[in-house]
Amino acid sequence: MDALFDDFSGAQKKCNGDLLSRTVTAGLTNDELRAIWKTCNAYDVKDVIKHGLQASDIGRSGAIPKEELKAWVDVYAVYWKAVGELLAVRDTSNDNRRASQASWAKVYESWKELLSALIKGYNSSSFESWTIPCLYVTGKYLREFAIKADAEKNSTQDNAAEPNFQDDFDPEAQQNHHLEDCARQLNRVFNTCLNDRAPLENSRKWGIYHVINLLFKTYFKLNSASLSKNILKALSAGRGDMPPLEAIPKSQQVTFKYYEGVLQFLEEDYVQAEKHLTEAWRMCHKDATKNKELILTYLVPCHLLTAHTLPSKKLLEPYPRLQKLFLPLSQHIRKGELHAFDLALQEGEDEFVKRRIYLTLERGRDIALRNLLRKVFITGGFEEPKSEGASPLRRTRVPIAEFAAGISLGCQETLDNDEVECLLANMIYKVMTHLLTVFWTQNLMKGYIARERGMVVLSKSGAFPGTGI
Amino acid sequence: MVPSWPPAPPPPPGTQAAASYASPYQAAPAFTPVQVRQSFGQPYPAPQPAYPVHAYGSPSHVTQSSPTNHSPTVTAASPPAPASEAPRKKTIWPDSVRNYVQRSFLPDNLDETVSRQDMEAKLKETITSANDGGYMYTINWETMPLPQEMIRAERNRTQTVQQPPPIPPVVPSFSSPPAATSKKRKSSDLTDTDLAGGPWRNNNNRLEDRVTFTADKRLATNETPKAMSKFQKQQQKNLEKRQKRFHGDYTTHREPSPPPSDGPVVGTSQVLEKRYLRLTAPPVPSQVRPESILRQTLELLKQKWRNEQNYTYICDQFKSMRQDLTVQNIRNEFTVEVYEIHARIALEKGDLSEYNQCQTQLKALYQRGIKGKSLEFKAYRILYFIHTANRSALNDVLADLTTAEKAERPIKHALDVRSALALGNYHRFFRLYNDTPNMGAYLLDMFVGRERLAALCNVCKAYKPDVPLRFITEELYFESDADAAQFILDHNGQHLLEDRDGTVVFLTAKAGLHFEGPRATAFGRVDIKGQI
Repeated sequence: MDALFDDFSGAQKKCNGDLLSRTVTAGLTNDELRAIWKTCNAYDVKDVIKHGLQASDIGRSGAIPKEELKAWVDVYAVYWKAVGELLAVRDTSNDNRRASQASWAKVYESWKELLSALIKGYNSSSFESWTIPCLYVTGKYLREFAIKADAEKNSTQDNAAEPNFQDDFDPEAQQNHHLEDCARQLNRVFNTCLNDRAPLENSRKWGIYHVINLLFKTYFKLNSASLSKNILKALSAGRGDMPPLEAIPKSQQVTFKYYEGVLQFLEEDYVQAEKHLTEAWRMCHKDATKNKELILTYLVPCHLLTAHTLPSKKLLEPYPRLQKLFLPLSQHIRKGELHAFDLALQEGEDEFVKRRIYLTLERGRDIALRNLLRKVFITGGFEEPKSEGASPLRRTRVPIAEFAAGISLGCQETLDNDEVECLLANMIYKVMTHLLTVFWTQNLMKGYIARERGMVVLSKSGAFPGTGI
Repeated sequence: MVPSWPPAPPPPPGTQAAASYASPYQAAPAFTPVQVRQSFGQPYPAPQPAYPVHAYGSPSHVTQSSPTNHSPTVTAASPPAPASEAPRKKTIWPDSVRNYVQRSFLPDNLDETVSRQDMEAKLKETITSANDGGYMYTINWETMPLPQEMIRAERNRTQTVQQPPPIPPVVPSFSSPPAATSKKRKSSDLTDTDLAGGPWRNNNNRLEDRVTFTADKRLATNETPKAMSKFQKQQQKNLEKRQKRFHGDYTTHREPSPPPSDGPVVGTSQVLEKRYLRLTAPPVPSQVRPESILRQTLELLKQKWRNEQNYTYICDQFKSMRQDLTVQNIRNEFTVEVYEIHARIALEKGDLSEYNQCQTQLKALYQRGIKGKSLEFKAYRILYFIHTANRSALNDVLADLTTAEKAERPIKHALDVRSALALGNYHRFFRLYNDTPNMGAYLLDMFVGRERLAALCNVCKAYKPDVPLRFITEELYFESDADAAQFILDHNGQHLLEDRDGTVVFLTAKAGLHFEGPRATAFGRVDIKGQI
C-alpha cells in the first residue's frame, strides 16, 4: 500500500496520469496484490487509506482539496476490495472456485464499483483531466473481467431461468450478460469524456479515443458492430471540439483507424474502408505483426475490389496465415482459373466467413472470369488485315461457344449457352469503381451480345478496360 | 362440492391416491372429509412444478373424463399423444439436475431428521417423474425444493390438517360455461389432483408406474384431475401469509417454509382458446394454460386454420399460446412446433413481423438442441437475409452452418440462390426460383421483382440490337409471354416492345438505362420489420 501512496503522491505532483493509473491497475503480480490486500481490513480500510494519502508528500503539502482527497479515498477503498476479489480468484484453481465462492463475476462487480467511484469523482468535477488514464485503464480491465465472467458463467451452464413476462424468450439474454453490462459502463465513461465542457487543453475529451477503442472492441466481440456507428456519429457531431486524432498516441490512432476501416468494410464502402485501413497500415508499428496482419486481412480484399490488385508474395511473406488465406485465390484470379478459384473459395470458406471477408472475396470471381474471358479473346488472335501495312486488329467477333468452352475448362459441368450469355452480360454490365477515380467507372468488358448470331462483339478499342487490351 | 365427494373413496389398489395419501388416515375415517383442505395447508406458496405437470402426462383427460361438459369444437380436437407415452429413451441428465442433486447433499442443506435413504428415494422419485413427464428441461431445478424440504413439508402437512375449512371456491368470471362446470369439478377434485401430483407421497409404489398410469387409473374411478384454480391458489397464499404473520405465537411448531419460488408460473387454465393480451404484470396461473391444454389448442387452431383461414384470429391465438409457453418456461419440441407453425402461417400471409419474431425464437430453440424442422427454417433465414440484403447477418448464418447442413437440400438451395445473386447470375437464380423447396417461394416472391429488374438492366446493356420477348420470358421465368410483356409495360416500357412478323421483340438497344431507375428504387426499399 505504501508504494501506492508514493505513486499517488508522485503522480499528483507531476500531474502524471499514466503513473497515477498504475495505482488502480489489475496488472500486478499476486504478491503485489497481496501486499496491498494485507495492509488493512474491511473495517479500517478507509482510515488506513485516508491516513496514507494525508501522510504522503502531496497530502501534507495540502495541494489537493479536501473534497478531492475524500473522493480518492473512496476510489482506493473500492480498489482495495476489488484487489481482494481478484486475489481470491487467482489464488484458487478452477476446481475449488465453486466452494470458495470466488468468481470472475465478483471480480467484475467489484471492478465496476471502482469504475463508478472514478466516474463519480469526475462528475463531481473534482478530478482533473490529466487523471483520465485511470478511467481507461480501469475500463480496460473491466472488459477483460467481463469476458472472463461470461466464460465462467457459460462453462458452469447456470442457466437459471428467470421469470419472464414477455411474450417470447429473449434468446441472447444471458450469454454475454457481463460484457453487455460492460459496454454500458464504457458508454458511461464515453459520455463522461464527451460531455466535459472544460476548455479543450484541460478537457477529458483527450481520453475519448481510448474509450472509443475499448467500446469498439467490446461491440465487435458482442457481434453488434453496428452500435459502433452511434459512437462515430456522436464523435463527428462534436468533431469541432474534439482533440485532433493526430495528437493522441499513435497506438490509439492505429486502433481507431483500423476499426473505422473495418466498419466501412462491413458496410461495403470499400473506398472509404481502404482509406482508413491504409492510414492504419502506414502508422502501425513495424514490429506489431499481429496488428499488421489484422489490417491486411481487410485491406487485401479492399484492394481486390477497388483497384483489382492482388497482394504480392513479398507483402505477405511475414504472415503465413495470410499467405494461406490469400495466395491460392490470388493466383487463380490472376490466371483466370475460374473453377480452381471456386474450389479455393470453398476450401477457405470457414476461415473467410469467420473473418467476415467471404462475401467480399467471392466478388473476386468477377475478376477471375474477366481474366479468363480475356485469355479467350487473346487466343482468338487477329483479323486478316484489310490492307497492307495496317496495324493488325484483334478478332473482336467471338462466338459465344468459344467463351463457353473457356469457362468449362477444368470443371466437370458444362454450362448451357444461356448461362454463359448471362455471365457475359454481367461482364458487360458490371462496373468497377476505382479508388483514384471515384467518379469515373469502367466496365469489366466492352461490347455487346448479338444473340441471334450467337456472337459477342467486343470493342475494338479496349475490350477489357484497364488491362491493356 | 365437498359433500358430493364419497366420504371415503375406495382406494383402488396401486393408485397413488390410495397408497400414498389415504394411508395415514384410514385408521381414523373421521378425517376423511377434511382431506380437501389439506392442500391449503401446504407450505409451498406456489405449486411445485411437479404437481400440475402430472396433468401434462394425460392431456386427454379433459375430453374423456367429462365429455358432456365440452363444446363440440373441443371434443373435435383430437387429443395429442400424451407426453408420457413417448418411448422411454436413455436419459442424459442435464447439468441443472446434477447441480440439484449436489445441492441436496451439501452439508449445509442436510437435515438430521431426514435419513439419507429417505432423501435418496425422494430424489430418485422426483427426477424420474420429471424425466418421465418430459419436463426435465422445462422445470426450474434451481428453485425446486430439496428432497429433505419435501419430506419435511410432507410431515408438516399431516400436522396442519386441523385448520379451518377453506372458503368454497368461486367460479372465476372469465371462464366460459362449459369450462366453468369443469372448474367446479376441479375444485372438488382437488385432493385427488394433489395426491396424484405429489409423487413423494407413496414410497411403496414402483417409481416407473407413477406418471404413466396415474391418469388412466384416475379415469377408471371417473375422477377428473385438475390443477388448482386461481382462487384456491390465492387462498393458499393468503393462508400462508396469515400463518406467517402469527408465526411468533403459533402453537404448532412448523419448519420454516422454503422461500417463495420465483420460478416460472405453472398454468391451470383449462380453456382452449384465449385472446392475446400483452402482459403488464406477472401472469396469473389460472389464466395460463398448461402444456397439455396448449397441445389441444394447437390441434384446434390447425383445424380452424384449415377450415376458416382467418389470419387475424389465428395470429392472436398463436401469440397467446407463445405467451403461455414463455411464462411457464416451456421450451421443448412442442414449443418449437408452435413457433414453426406460426412462422409458416405468418409467412404465407406475409406477416413479416410475426414471422421474424418466430424465427428469432426458433433460432434460439434449435441452438439449445431442441429438435424441429431446423433445416427448413434455417433455409428461410438465408432467403430472408437475401431479401433484406443484410450482409452481416448472412455472414453470421454462414458461420453457423455445419458442412453437413450445407449439403442438405433446403439449405443448399438457399445458399445457391445467395451465390447466384451475389454473382449476378440471374440465369441460375431463376432456375432455382422455379425449384424452391418448402415454403421458400413466399420469401423469394418478395424479391423476385427487383431481381427481374436487375436482370433486365443487364440484358438491356449487354444485348444488341434486340431479343425476342420469349427469351425474356424464359430467362426471367415469367409464366407466359403476356406476363413478361405486362412486366415491361408496368415499368413504362411500351415503346420497347415491337411486333415483328408475329413475334414480339424486346428492343434492348433502345432501352438504354430505362430500367435503372426502377431497379435502384426496388433495391433501395427493403423494409425490415421485426427483429431477427
